[in-house]
Amino acid sequence: MADNSSTQALFDLWKKQIEEGTQAWARLVGQIGQSGQAQPPDPLQFWRPFMDQGMAAWSKLLTQGPPTPELLTQWKQFLDQWIAAWQKVLEQAMGTEAFAQVLGKYLDQWLSLQAPIKKVAEESTEATLQALGVPSRTQVVGIARQVVDLEDRIEGLEDRLGALMARMDDLFKSLADHEAAAARRAADRVAQ
Amino acid sequence: MPDRFTMVTDEPRVDPEVIAQWQEELQRNLGRMKNFTEMVANPKEPSVGPTPRQEIYRKNKSRLYRYESRRKYRTPLLFVPNLGISRPYIFDLLPGGSFIEHMTREGFDFYLLDWGVFGPEDNRLTLEDCVTRILPRMARKVLEISGARELSVLGYCMGGPLSACFIATHPEVPVKNFVNMAGPIDFSKVGLFGVWLDPRYFDADKFVDTLGQIPADMVKAGFKLLRPTMDLTTGLNLWWNLWNDSYVEGFQALNKWANEYVAFPGEFFRQWVKEFYQQNRMIRGELRLGGKPVRLGEIRCPVFVVGAKEDYIAPAACVKALIDAVGSTDKGYVELPGGHISLIAGRGASVHCWPKVSSWLAPRS
Repeated sequence: MADNSSTQALFDLWKKQIEEGTQAWARLVGQIGQSGQAQPPDPLQFWRPFMDQGMAAWSKLLTQGPPTPELLTQWKQFLDQWIAAWQKVLEQAMGTEAFAQVLGKYLDQWLSLQAPIKKVAEESTEATLQALGVPSRTQVVGIARQVVDLEDRIEGLEDRLGALMARMDDLFKSLADHEAAAARRAADRVAQ
Repeated sequence: MPDRFTMVTDEPRVDPEVIAQWQEELQRNLGRMKNFTEMVANPKEPSVGPTPRQEIYRKNKSRLYRYESRRKYRTPLLFVPNLGISRPYIFDLLPGGSFIEHMTREGFDFYLLDWGVFGPEDNRLTLEDCVTRILPRMARKVLEISGARELSVLGYCMGGPLSACFIATHPEVPVKNFVNMAGPIDFSKVGLFGVWLDPRYFDADKFVDTLGQIPADMVKAGFKLLRPTMDLTTGLNLWWNLWNDSYVEGFQALNKWANEYVAFPGEFFRQWVKEFYQQNRMIRGELRLGGKPVRLGEIRCPVFVVGAKEDYIAPAACVKALIDAVGSTDKGYVELPGGHISLIAGRGASVHCWPKVSSWLAPRS
């Protein structure tokens, strides 16, 4: 079994690395946000303290006694923490206005490029299908829409029919009540 | 004089416990190799949706399913999930790991609204249509089939705000209870999506006018961007647990679901992004659907809200806002560990979340 105190020390070291790395990245992101210009970040600023200390910690651990599978568990935990730290860092970066602006610009450009391509592709496909005498996508979609509209109208009719039936039921019921009351009154009169 | 057949070395002896641990690790690695080979050489389509059900109504692409149960409670439960994005079989993923199975076992007469997979012919479908035409009809069908006078509504994710709008604008529909699970309500606290969909940077009109429908691949890209390390974590956890057959079975089912995205109808997306994400109209009382104002304060039935601590799609604060907005006197909020999906799938959900929902609903049903 590995020594508990050395394991704890190792985790403390990892925690420190992750925190330092995150702070380094956050500083970088902050600089971008302040300057307003998306300068390419230097990933080495994030990686250098992380890797140097990590390698030192691992070489220290591997020289202590016979290795156990616990080493793998620790490695997995290390990776989990590392991924979590990266996620945190990325979240910070992606939560900035600068990122939203860059993403928005990218999507806008993509859409501007997409619109004419889509139009040309649709027109040429339409022309080809028409030449072949095959129904085009637009025609199929149009028919499907008509079916959807028809279904809606049938449902509308169903609703109105349902409402009418309900009103008729009420009418019949009140008529039956009325007749029953009249019959009772007639019976009372005969009895008197 | 030492015996020449006895090995004497200066090396320390290896602890037998360490040897046993390595043997166990070796076994796990063999299990990993076996399952990896199986997954690569003979990939199986996971069987999902094990709870028996019956389709009782369909409207265009939407379906209403009733699940078999030993009905213990009079009030039926209509489950309203998200529209687009993903398929609803996540709620009935695997035997022993299914929300629907849990609820039906508890004795609820359970109805699932499956919004369906939309095509270009559905691009004109709006959020307003869903709230004012589809949901009321589904609720009526539930009442008709169940023979009950009232029903409970449970909204999950986008189904939460859709249900809230429906209940608030349809006081004539007898909703007895409303549960909102991870449904975003206050979009000023909606996290990264809120930042990215800011009207200064995201032009929803241009998107819909250009693409018509928001394709499934684009929906997928948006969600992947929200959690860029997700695939790495998934891969790492799979490798770590690959020796465990039941984990692999669960992984395959969840992975199938997680990679099956559903497109958004164009007009629905336009309204969803503009009126909810960008203008936050529902919580501000400025939303109108079907000519009626959506006033959350009009919701007076008992309300239960479930938020998840690490939910990055609908952060807990954004979900919790419903509690202060409704006019109900009987209302409760619970915040559970995990993320958006861990409320509805996985071991944690079956322990932390589902029993809370069923035990809140039971005495009120």
